[in-house]
Amino acid sequence: MRGIVLSVFLSLFCSASFGADKILRVTFQAAETGFDPVRVSDYYSGSVIEAIFDPLLTYDYRARPAKLVPNTAEALPQVSDGGRTYTLKVRSGIYFADDPAFKGRKRELTAADYAYSLGRFLDPKNRSPYAFLYEGIGKIETPERMTLRIRLKNPDLNFSHVLAFALSGAVAHEAIEAYGDESAAHPVGTGAFRLKSYTRSSKIVLEANPGYRERYFENRRIPSIRGVEISVMEETQSRWLAFQRGDTDIEYALSELAPKFLTPENTLRPEFARKGIRLERSVDPEIIYFYFNMQDKTVGGLSKQRIALRRAIAMAYKIDDQIRIIRKGQAIRAQYPIPPGVAGYDPEYRSPIPYDPRAANALLDQFGYRKGKDGYRRQPNGERLVIVFSSSPTERDRQFDELWKRSLDSIGVRLEIHKDRFAELIKLSHQCRLMLRGAAWIADYPDGDNFMQLLYGPNTGQSNSGCYRSPEYDRRYEKSRRLPPGPERDRLYHEMTRIMELDVAWILTDSRYRNVLLQPRVRDFAKHPVLHAEWLYIDLE
Amino acid sequence: MNNYFLRRLWQAVPTLLGVLLFVFFLFNWVGGDPAYLLAGKIPNPEMIEAIRRSLGVDQPYWVQLWIFVKQVVTADFGASWSTNERVSEIFATRLGPSLTVLLPLLFISTVLSLAAAMLVAYVRGSLTDRAVMVGCTVAQSVSILVYILVLQYVLAYQLGWFPVQGWGSTLGENLGYAALPVLVGLVVSLAPDIRLYRSFLLEEIGQDYVRTARAKGLSEARVLWLHVLRNAAIPIATNVLIQLPGLLAGAFLIERFFSIPGIGREVILAVERSDFPIIKAVTVYVAMATLLVNLLSDVLYKALDPRVQLK
Amino acid sequence: MGSLAVVVLLLAVMVLSAAGVIARNWSEEVGVSYAPPKWFASTTQDTQTQEEQAVRKLDDYGIPDPIGPELAEINARLTGGGGPQARASTLPLGGDKWGRDVLRKVLKGTEVSLFVGITAACLTALLGTLFGALAGYFGGWVDDAFNWIYSVFTSIPYLLLVLAIAAVLGHKGIATVILILGFTGWTGIFRLVRAEYLKHKVREYVLAADAVGASDMRRMFVHILPNVSHVVLVQLSLHVVLFIKSEVILSFLGFGVGVETVSWGSMLAEAPSELILGMWWQIAAATAAMALAVTAFSLFTDAVRDALDPRLQ
Repeated sequence: MRGIVLSVFLSLFCSASFGADKILRVTFQAAETGFDPVRVSDYYSGSVIEAIFDPLLTYDYRARPAKLVPNTAEALPQVSDGGRTYTLKVRSGIYFADDPAFKGRKRELTAADYAYSLGRFLDPKNRSPYAFLYEGIGKIETPERMTLRIRLKNPDLNFSHVLAFALSGAVAHEAIEAYGDESAAHPVGTGAFRLKSYTRSSKIVLEANPGYRERYFENRRIPSIRGVEISVMEETQSRWLAFQRGDTDIEYALSELAPKFLTPENTLRPEFARKGIRLERSVDPEIIYFYFNMQDKTVGGLSKQRIALRRAIAMAYKIDDQIRIIRKGQAIRAQYPIPPGVAGYDPEYRSPIPYDPRAANALLDQFGYRKGKDGYRRQPNGERLVIVFSSSPTERDRQFDELWKRSLDSIGVRLEIHKDRFAELIKLSHQCRLMLRGAAWIADYPDGDNFMQLLYGPNTGQSNSGCYRSPEYDRRYEKSRRLPPGPERDRLYHEMTRIMELDVAWILTDSRYRNVLLQPRVRDFAKHPVLHAEWLYIDLE
Repeated sequence: MNNYFLRRLWQAVPTLLGVLLFVFFLFNWVGGDPAYLLAGKIPNPEMIEAIRRSLGVDQPYWVQLWIFVKQVVTADFGASWSTNERVSEIFATRLGPSLTVLLPLLFISTVLSLAAAMLVAYVRGSLTDRAVMVGCTVAQSVSILVYILVLQYVLAYQLGWFPVQGWGSTLGENLGYAALPVLVGLVVSLAPDIRLYRSFLLEEIGQDYVRTARAKGLSEARVLWLHVLRNAAIPIATNVLIQLPGLLAGAFLIERFFSIPGIGREVILAVERSDFPIIKAVTVYVAMATLLVNLLSDVLYKALDPRVQLK
Repeated sequence: MGSLAVVVLLLAVMVLSAAGVIARNWSEEVGVSYAPPKWFASTTQDTQTQEEQAVRKLDDYGIPDPIGPELAEINARLTGGGGPQARASTLPLGGDKWGRDVLRKVLKGTEVSLFVGITAACLTALLGTLFGALAGYFGGWVDDAFNWIYSVFTSIPYLLLVLAIAAVLGHKGIATVILILGFTGWTGIFRLVRAEYLKHKVREYVLAADAVGASDMRRMFVHILPNVSHVVLVQLSLHVVLFIKSEVILSFLGFGVGVETVSWGSMLAEAPSELILGMWWQIAAATAAMALAVTAFSLFTDAVRDALDPRLQ
């Protein structure tokens, strides 16, 4: 009798602790800023927002390349008017998480909520950093309770991606009005999770939303996990140690320490594989590049001389060392402005610019950049030649400073480092006042247009950081906007890339590998190119 | 005594005003424009203007200064420019973690270094004394950065004696998380404190009353314990008090590496994000705390030592 | 006196390095990335490169190269050759991530760190002594004004003050670091010098000088200053120590010396990422050098203070 009681008690205890431990523990590498979609621009806040709010569309978890599927919408949007009008029906029976702002009643999701939420981005009072994504919206209508119609100012075949974007989730106006300035700390959504507790810049705890609609994934009701515990840990060392001790379940950002867990062949080291730890490796849909300011009086312009100067610099920059030493081998060379996983990517494309410091030296000699008595080259008109590279005062950026020094020393070009805070550098670059700087762009949505627009002349002062204006490029870009992804658009993209490369507007360097480490108990994880966090779909044993 | 207290308080006002002026012109003049950081990836000019207007950045300086003075008086610095969290909130929530590390650290460090200093004062002049002093000097010559890294790596990672980093929600949990940070802080502060307290003790030992006590036949140990310590207690106590405000802001390295959500870490974040309200508030509050603590320690002096004349 | 010898040795290293006699080619890449120290056998990581070696004929997509002809001519002219040079697999004290010799870096770093520490200390001593002399000597509103500035500066914690001024002056290398340190450290010296001047200005020899008709400036700097100099000297040495350690912190925060040179601080700033990968030699070398220098200066300071201060016998 006692034995039965004991074993029943034990099994209850064990299953209880099993079930109670369905909490996923992860870390953020940088502090979040808040959870109001309209106030946020960083990747980490975006992950949490994705978990709490529901956009109309989303992406299929498993499909590669990324495929749009309906989320709270009944079906993919009806696109009419040559790409100017998008019509969707919102599913009925979806409710916001319970919250005091609703004064005790259950609040159903309607089309008006999306009209409200998307409209917030257009309101300059909200000063959203992502307003640019929604700029194309002209009018939002709700002809019926559950029908949403969006009229764009110009035809845009990619607008569905905006509707699937993490920040396009539905917020309830009652919650925004109730919480006012504190809305970033009190997110109320229809998503799979809700905010349980929140210590700013330190710990975020999400719990499964009990009112979440019935939803299945591969025969499993999701979310399968009970909650997510996120700790903000800025130091890589701390995150690595925490993962090793089993304190965290998934680690996304340890590539700096790759040699510790990867063999030289980039497989998981046996001592970790033996413990059941798994590695998921994929290339992020991002490009990293250096841009020249085409309006700069030393390096800018499209004259043959300037092209030669920039070409020589590009031929001397040690991309190989960047990948080998700074990235610790955890990156691939980016040959094309569109990265893998994004529509329009071409794995066959190769850059015409080789690494050849000898030829670079000869090129500079030929075009009048002669060496002076101090061993450094001067401009053809006799003035001092100084390349000013701008970066922020972090240890990470310092490595790039050193690499630039080594690269430019190999062609006898003098380098000066200009240090300033990130905020200042952004300002100066938008004003076209920097000479040379590094930049990175990760896909907001998986279409190549998101990348090619970075070189479009009229985007100078915004996303076109190099202030590049090439009529040849711009002409082709405008044509490409009217084409769907396919061979015709690819041909234009090839030409545009070649134009940009020969002008040396950019020095494309690499796209980084994302090494995701998983503890054995994490199941059904698949790193998605666009979706920030896979918390909705994974399971824990 | 009351007079003295009030007069000192009154004297602190111009200093505080000086601090305000200094902080204001330093950050307003130079600080740079945070609008672009807030406006994110692709800003447009209207948005920038809207932000700058709402932040008061486009007003003339004297208007901004007046706003700043009002903020100080009402202790309302508005909200953080990047997270919109109220600055007073930030202080309220970050103070706890900082103190959870600093108060135990201060206490243990004072006790240990005082004990060590007394031992050394007891054997002053001997080989032990010199060896300990040289040891302290060498220990002090290593950067705090190295101590943090090595201790964290060896004690937390290799040996697993402490949690690597983090912070919990209950005091009990947090004391556990604070253990290694306190240990690191201890290692860093012991050496300078021992040297300092030793010099305080030696200064007292050189006084006439000590010779008198010895002449009366008291043992060296009693002399140390009964007389010297009591008199040295004043400079020691004031030294401890005075350290506190500085430690608050200065513990940022420890807070950063151990992911402790305290004030020091907040300062670093604010400097990186050009988050003026936070930097201004921290500077002003800490300056006020320093002035207050200095005043209190002077009053303490007067209360404990009747020889000291306070005019 | 051992400390004096070490101090002199370090100063010698500083001068020799500055003159280019030693550590001249500190930035030359002579080893492989993270070459281990010679006497310490271990395996190094060899990280992968994704570079393809194949040369292929490229499609030009119909876009002509503006400098095509010139490049073709250059390529035709340059024949093969110039392969990668041999790199050492171990170095005496190891190598950093670019394969630079840690021994040479440490020597160069000694020059730079000592230079920063000593120059900043001199600047701060100058400011502190000047302010202290003026305040202590003239008294009255001059004293009040300086005391006001002093209390403003001392009510803001050192680190916060340093960060604030660093934000003002920006990131411009050694000069910035020296200025930051110099402008924040003068308060201690000011207080001591002022106290000395208060004491001395009523002394007989000063009154005598006044009777003879010496000007204020003369009395301050020709008569009193030499008698106060022992205090300043001790403080100077103390501040060298303080500033060497502060430079490390500043470098970690990103305000350190630039990439064209190296200091102990910049070597230690790479510490977090290196130590976790098991690359301990650069940190060890920099810490050892710094410990040696700081200890030597500290002991030297103690010796000087004991020798010069009449009270502590």
